[in-house]
Amino acid sequence: MSFEFLNSFKFLKKKSIIHRLDPRAKLLFAMVYTINALMFTEIVPLIFIFLSIIPFIVLGKLFHQWIKSIRGLAFLYIFIIIINTLFITNNGFSFSLAMIIRITTMISAFSIFFLTVDPNDLALSLISMKVPYEFAFSFSLAFRFVPTIAIEAQNIIDSQQSRGYEMQKKGIINQIKNLFPLLVPLIIGSIKRAFNVAEALESRAFGSKKERTFYFTIRYSVTDWIFTFLLLIILVVLIFIRLQIIIMPEWFNWGLPV
Amino acid sequence: MTANKTIILIDEIDYIYPNNTIALSKVSLKINKGELIAIMGQNGAGKTTLIRTLNGLIRPTNGNVYVKGENNSTKSIAQLSKIIGIIFQNPMHQLFSNSIEEELKFSLRNLEYTKEQIQQKIDNILSKFDFEKYRNRSPFNLSGGEAKKLALATIICRDPEILVFDEPTLGQDAKEIDFFLKVIYNELEKGKTIVMVTHNIEFAFENIPRTILMANGKILADGPTEQVLTNDLLVKKASLVLPQIHQFKLGLKEIGIDVPNEIFKERDMISFINNYLKVRIANR
Amino acid sequence: MSLIKFNNFSFRYKGNEEYALNNINLEINENSFILLLGETGSGKTSLIRCLNGLIPQFYAGYYKGSVEIAGKSTITTPISDLSTVVGIVFQNPENQLVAMNVEHEIAFGMENLGISPREIEKRIKEVIKLTEIEHLLERAPFEISGGEKQRVAIASVLVLEPLLLILDEPTANLDPFFAKKIITMLKKIQETKKISVIISEHRMDLLIPLVDDIILMENGKLVGYDDKNVIMNSEIFHKLNINKPKIYTLFKGLEYGSTYFNKLPLSVEDALNFFRQFN
Repeated sequence: MSFEFLNSFKFLKKKSIIHRLDPRAKLLFAMVYTINALMFTEIVPLIFIFLSIIPFIVLGKLFHQWIKSIRGLAFLYIFIIIINTLFITNNGFSFSLAMIIRITTMISAFSIFFLTVDPNDLALSLISMKVPYEFAFSFSLAFRFVPTIAIEAQNIIDSQQSRGYEMQKKGIINQIKNLFPLLVPLIIGSIKRAFNVAEALESRAFGSKKERTFYFTIRYSVTDWIFTFLLLIILVVLIFIRLQIIIMPEWFNWGLPV
Repeated sequence: MTANKTIILIDEIDYIYPNNTIALSKVSLKINKGELIAIMGQNGAGKTTLIRTLNGLIRPTNGNVYVKGENNSTKSIAQLSKIIGIIFQNPMHQLFSNSIEEELKFSLRNLEYTKEQIQQKIDNILSKFDFEKYRNRSPFNLSGGEAKKLALATIICRDPEILVFDEPTLGQDAKEIDFFLKVIYNELEKGKTIVMVTHNIEFAFENIPRTILMANGKILADGPTEQVLTNDLLVKKASLVLPQIHQFKLGLKEIGIDVPNEIFKERDMISFINNYLKVRIANR
Repeated sequence: MSLIKFNNFSFRYKGNEEYALNNINLEINENSFILLLGETGSGKTSLIRCLNGLIPQFYAGYYKGSVEIAGKSTITTPISDLSTVVGIVFQNPENQLVAMNVEHEIAFGMENLGISPREIEKRIKEVIKLTEIEHLLERAPFEISGGEKQRVAIASVLVLEPLLLILDEPTANLDPFFAKKIITMLKKIQETKKISVIISEHRMDLLIPLVDDIILMENGKLVGYDDKNVIMNSEIFHKLNINKPKIYTLFKGLEYGSTYFNKLPLSVEDALNFFRQFN
């Protein structure tokens, strides 16, 4: 289950208007929607905020992956409902429902970001935001090696199981002890890999004194500006509602009686 | 020894990855007790997926795998690993202990042995593999070739009836390959069944009686190695190349030198050439 | 002028008692295809690390003597400056692909060196044709096969236009057909670009017919560097525990071998030529 869930954050090459947007615009999108969701605790405004995300999912042709990420959270949802309903005496169920919508909104926003931003461009956008090249590069390098390490982890599990290693063990101490046969090879392998990668980087003039050129560039297009403008309008309107500069009718604050 | 007794039966298995890639499609295979078999073919042909179904690391999407007459689906990986030992390509994926002795002990701990039996088995394997002097050494200080040898020891000491190897000769030099051969022949004599995935054509041609060729998740050919690996069409389909001795034999025939058809191995070829040259030089 | 010059060079890694390389004297010339041979642990990889300054700059240890690349000392010249003279393709392509797609990968080294985008574009076009990866430009490293990864790794080094290209077991993880393809490709590159190529490799059957010279290592020492015919007819080659080509062992096993020929046949074609004299 857990790995499936992570897949909904992995960049997917597709052609759509959302994919074409500048990564910085999409980062802004994820942040604005996080703020939007955090501003409210009532069900109705949260539903509105959540619904306004759906067009972006459809435009980005991401429905399938998005559903998967939401399904992956089912366990967390149940957990939230039980805990809140049990421990919050005052409309606990209503509150937990709001929390679920809030989390779903934030996860959806970031899932759109990661699903549509090419990790290559991510590094470039960090650099354009004045992050030093070395940092931006290490960030993209980490991304690059996630699948490699996942495959290595699977191979380690397979190798150990083939010599009688048992995954499930009873008791917390045994469980911790049981991690060593997996973690030690993984850590040692990763250290070795780090050396190999560093060696390969050195050999390809990484850290050269010369001024680095950039073969690829990213550009904030007219569509990006329109998108940015739209996001800011939504944000400002919601802030006004929150500060009650715009007064909403009573149903806006409606909650479930439980 | 009970010859011709089926020990592994693979019955029309498919394996489809969660992302819908087909790794195995309608694969059927019968392996008898005491056989030595090579599985060959292009990377991505499904070879390692196939061997992973043997001890339950991968459960087929359709079809069944039977080991010793029992269906794998009813057994856990741990249960199956007592019968089938798989040695994967990279030994560094399994070494983790402080010492070589500990490493072997780990392999033996889930089997029903007494402390004395375990110690005896360890001593035994250490001497067989010439590791006695390294007993307390860290496995991480071993060279690549020695680490591979240790990985082999960690499975051999469990004494499984079926041994499965993934690229056992990769990165090994001539001396290490000779040692590996000695070990597997010794196991064969004890009645063990051995399956290995390999790219090493010359090795397979010289040492392994039966070869299975795979391509695109299917079995392309299954038969005596001398027939399978000398079939130009099959070899091409499986992204292999013809064994050198066979290439040489074909060339000799083209020149007009009549090499008997049953010559496949290095030793036979050497004695053929020896005789041929003797006659030729004498007639000159 | 020789490309590489080792002068009594010795090196031991930090924390190791034994010398990984022992008193190496070696001069490598331009425009040749060289095979680097030796048993596992004989110092092949360490020798390769010296060829672009990784030893002694990246790997800590103790050294004696000197190594010069195109007249520059590897002790004082930064590795990045040497990267335009010597390119290394390491054993595992997985660990040297650092970008998220092939085009970024190939551009990476050139960007580091500050080469202009226009020149980068030109060179990418040329190198992808040479290494036959035109169709892969937009792919991520985890979407391509092992053989394709290796070709991308070669392209990303070759694009810096080194005079010497070194490959550490480039086909170890490949199936025989693609191994052959890569090796033939390397030979073609060596000939068209008139550079030197050094390969360390177990698959001698494939390589012997193509290489010019062989470097032989044993226990950290250089025990031979000469034309392949000279090396393979030497006693020291015979004694080493390396996987020798089938044709070699076949002819070496003959009863009166040396009375029939003064030079061992090294490939199937060679061997057949020997027999043609009788018919």
